[in-house]
Amino acid sequence: MTDARVTGAARYAEDLEAEGMLHARIVRSPYPHARVVAVDASAVPDGCVVLLPDDVRDLRRYGIQIRDQSVLADRARHVGDPVAAVGAESPRGAEEAAASVFVDYEELPAVLDVLDAAKSDAPLVHDGHELASTGAAYFGLRPRQGTNVCHHFRIRDGNVESGFADADAVVDQTFTVAGAQHAPMEPHACLARWAEGRLEVLTGTQTPFNLREELAGIFALEPGQVRVVCRPMGGSFGAKTFLRTEAIAAAIARKAGRPVKLVLARDEEWVTLNRHPAVVRVKLGARTDGTLTAAEIECWADTGAYADSGPGVAQKMGFAAPGPYRIPNVAVDAYCVYTNLPPNGAFRGYGQMQSTWARERAVDLLAERLGIDPLELRLKNLLREGDRYCTGETMHDVHYAECLERAAAGIGWHEDRRGKGLSVILKGMQTPSRAAVAVEDGGDGTFVVRCATTEMGQGAIHAIALLAAELLGVEPERIRFPAPDTDAVPYDTRTTSSRSTYMMGRALEEAVRDLRATGGPRGYGEVFNAGGLDPETGGGIASTHWHQAATGAEVRVDEETGKLEVLRLHTAVYAGRVVNRPAAELQNEGSMIMGLGSALFEEVVYGDGQVVNPNLSDYAIPSPADLPAQLTHELLEADGAEIHGLGETALPPVPPAIGNAVAALGIELFDLPMTPERVSAAIDRRAEVRA
Amino acid sequence: MRLSFSVNGEGVETEGRADEMLRDVLNRLGLVSVRETCGIGVCGACTVLVDGETVSACLLLAPLAEGREITTVEGLGGDHPVQVAFAEAHAFQCGYCTPGMVLAVARLLEENPQPTEDDIRLGLAGNLCRCGSYVKIVEAVQLAAGRKEGAWTS
Repeated sequence: MTDARVTGAARYAEDLEAEGMLHARIVRSPYPHARVVAVDASAVPDGCVVLLPDDVRDLRRYGIQIRDQSVLADRARHVGDPVAAVGAESPRGAEEAAASVFVDYEELPAVLDVLDAAKSDAPLVHDGHELASTGAAYFGLRPRQGTNVCHHFRIRDGNVESGFADADAVVDQTFTVAGAQHAPMEPHACLARWAEGRLEVLTGTQTPFNLREELAGIFALEPGQVRVVCRPMGGSFGAKTFLRTEAIAAAIARKAGRPVKLVLARDEEWVTLNRHPAVVRVKLGARTDGTLTAAEIECWADTGAYADSGPGVAQKMGFAAPGPYRIPNVAVDAYCVYTNLPPNGAFRGYGQMQSTWARERAVDLLAERLGIDPLELRLKNLLREGDRYCTGETMHDVHYAECLERAAAGIGWHEDRRGKGLSVILKGMQTPSRAAVAVEDGGDGTFVVRCATTEMGQGAIHAIALLAAELLGVEPERIRFPAPDTDAVPYDTRTTSSRSTYMMGRALEEAVRDLRATGGPRGYGEVFNAGGLDPETGGGIASTHWHQAATGAEVRVDEETGKLEVLRLHTAVYAGRVVNRPAAELQNEGSMIMGLGSALFEEVVYGDGQVVNPNLSDYAIPSPADLPAQLTHELLEADGAEIHGLGETALPPVPPAIGNAVAALGIELFDLPMTPERVSAAIDRRAEVRA
Repeated sequence: MRLSFSVNGEGVETEGRADEMLRDVLNRLGLVSVRETCGIGVCGACTVLVDGETVSACLLLAPLAEGREITTVEGLGGDHPVQVAFAEAHAFQCGYCTPGMVLAVARLLEENPQPTEDDIRLGLAGNLCRCGSYVKIVEAVQLAAGRKEGAWTS
C-alpha cells in the first residue's frame, strides 16, 4: 500500500470533527501590556458562544515550569494575549464574531528589550513567580522575586579570575540571536469535548502527559478525568509542546455544552510561541600554544510574557555554552527573562543553538588572535574519552574530534581555507527522563506496542516499530502502534530533545524481556535516567549522554550587495547506532536546512511589541532554491554503541560554521541572522579598520 | 451561487459563495489533501492543477474555476510515478506539504522531462517543506523522471 502521505489520505489534528461541534476563535490583545477593563460582547451575533473573563474565574493558572498563565488574561502581557474567545457554527462565523467583541484596555508600561527587562528598575511583567509543582520539580528553578528574571542558572567550576590571569590572549565579545518561528506547515489545532465530567482533548502535541496534567490543574480535575489523544502533527519543531490552544477550546466547550474545534490562523502562530531571542557574551582565554584556560559566559534568554519552558531553555543554553572543550575554569550565568513580547519556548535545539553560535564564533576570534588554525585550536582543546566536563560529569563515548575532522574533510578544508568555516557542538538530552512502554502479544503473530511517543514527521514510531520487530523476531508489519492516548498508554516524559528512540528503545527491551519472562500476554518496560544539575554551581549530570556534531561551511560573499551564498555545507553527527536510516538522514538534512534559515534570514521582527512579519511572505523559511549547491552529511556509528537521538543535533552547528566561513573572508558577524544588510555593514567596518 | 467544474475527472456541481476560495470548496467536497499553510500563495501546500497548470487553491476564487478541470493528489490514483518515487525516496516527513509537492513535480516533469538538479530546485521553489525534506525530494524527482510516457499531470 502506498504511504498515506503521498495519496492525500494522511489526516492530522486539523481534520478532527465531532457531531455538533463549534469552531473557536480567540480575541487577542493589541497591546503589549494592558489591563482588561471591560469586555463587551453585545454585538456578537446570536447563536455564538462567547468566553468572557467571568467564565474562567474558577480556572487555575498554568505553566509547565512557572504558573504564570491564565486561560484568559485579565492583564494582557503581550500583543496577542487571549482576552476572550468565541465559538460559532463555522470558522468564518467565528472570525466575524471575534471581530465584534469590543474590549476596553488600560495601557500599562511595557518592557520590550531583554537587557532592559533584566534591570532592577524595569516594569514587572509578573508580580511574583509561582513555581509549578510538577514540571519544574526536576530542576531547581531559581527565580529572582521582584525582578523579571524567572530563572538564573550558574556554573562555577575552577576559578575564572586565575584562569584569565594565566591567559596570553583573551577575547570578549557579545553576540545576538534573533527570535524564530517554528512555522509548522499545519497550524496548532485541537478538539475538546466534555462527557460525564470528563474532559477529552484530541490534539497534535509532543507532550500528552504534560498536557493532561496542565488541563487537570486548570479545571481542578484528577488526571484520570482528562483524556488526551494525540493526532499526527503536520510538523512541530517544539511548537506543539505543553499547553497551547487546548484550555481555551475546553473552556468554550464547557460553557457551550458542545465539542469545540480550534485551529489557529497562520498569523496567530507568531503570538503563540517562538524561539527565544538571546544575547550571549563570551569571554575566552588561552595560552600562546592555544591551551584554553578560562571561559566566562553570560546568556540572556528573552522568554517573552510567559515562562513556558524558558527556564529549561535558558539552563540548556547555559550548560551547553562552554562546548565540547577542556576548560579548567568556567563561569556561566544564564538568565531567563520576561519581556512583554509573545512567549518563547521549546524550539528544535532548545537554547543550544543560541549559545553555540556565540561560543563557536568566539573560538574563531581567539584562533585569529593567536594566529592558530581554527581546526588545530579546536582539536587541541576538544574533550576526549574520560575527560571531565565543567558540570563534573565524565564524558564517555566521545567523538567530537572525529565529527570535526569529517566536517573539515567534507568541505575540502585542507585544500584551501578561503571562505571556509568550522564549528563543533555538544548538546544535552533531557535529563532526568523516564519512558515506559507496554507490549501485547496478539497471539496470532502480531504485537501491539503502546507508548506515548508522538509522531510529527520525525519517524519515531517507525523506528520504535523496527526495534520492536527486531526484539520480537517478527516482521515490522506485524507490529501495531495505536495512537498515543493517555487512557491507554503508559506514562512518558515527552517526545522532545531527541530522546524517544533512545529512551523508548531501552524501555522496549525491558518490556520484551518482561513479556518473555511472564509468558505474556503483556510485557511492561520502564527506564529512568537519573540526573540533574545544582542550579547554584552547575554540578551534577546535565545529560546521560551527549549529542555530538560538527559542521563545515564554504561561502561566497558578493561584496557589492552583501549577499551571502553558502556553497557547501557538510555536517557529521554521531549517531551511535542508526535504527531507521532514511529517517535519520531526513533528520540531519532537515536540521541543517532549518539551521540555514536561522543563519541567513529567519527573524521574528518586533516593532513596539508587535510582530511585524507574521506571515510566510515577510518571514521567509528555506525553499528548495535556498539550498547550497552541496548539502551533505554523515551519520557516524560505533560498534556496540548506544542509540543517539538525531532530531536536532545537526541544527546548532550550522550558523556558526557559516559565520566562521564569512569571517575567513575578513567579514566579522556577531548577530544572527546574517542578512545582506548586516554583511554589508561588516564589510564597511572591515574597510574602516584597514583604512 | 452554483459552481460547476470537473474534479479528478468527474463533473461536480455544488453551492458556494462568490467570495470563497477554491481550496475551501474542495475541502468541503472531502478533498482535504489540499492544505492551507500560508493562505497567501507562497507555500504551495494548497497546490492543485487547473487545466494542467499549478495553481494555489488558497488564492483562486472558486467561481473562476467554473468549467475547468481540477486535479488534486487524490486524482493521481496512488500509483502515479511521482507518488511511487516519493515513497521510494522517503521524500517526506510529516507529509503535510506532500500532496502539493507531488502535483508540482508532475507539472515540472511535464514541462521538463529530464530536469537538472538546479532545474528541480528552482522549479519547486514555490513549494515549502518546513521539515526540510528537499534533498530527498530532489532524489524523488530524479527517480520519477523517465518513468512515464506522455502526460504527467493526469
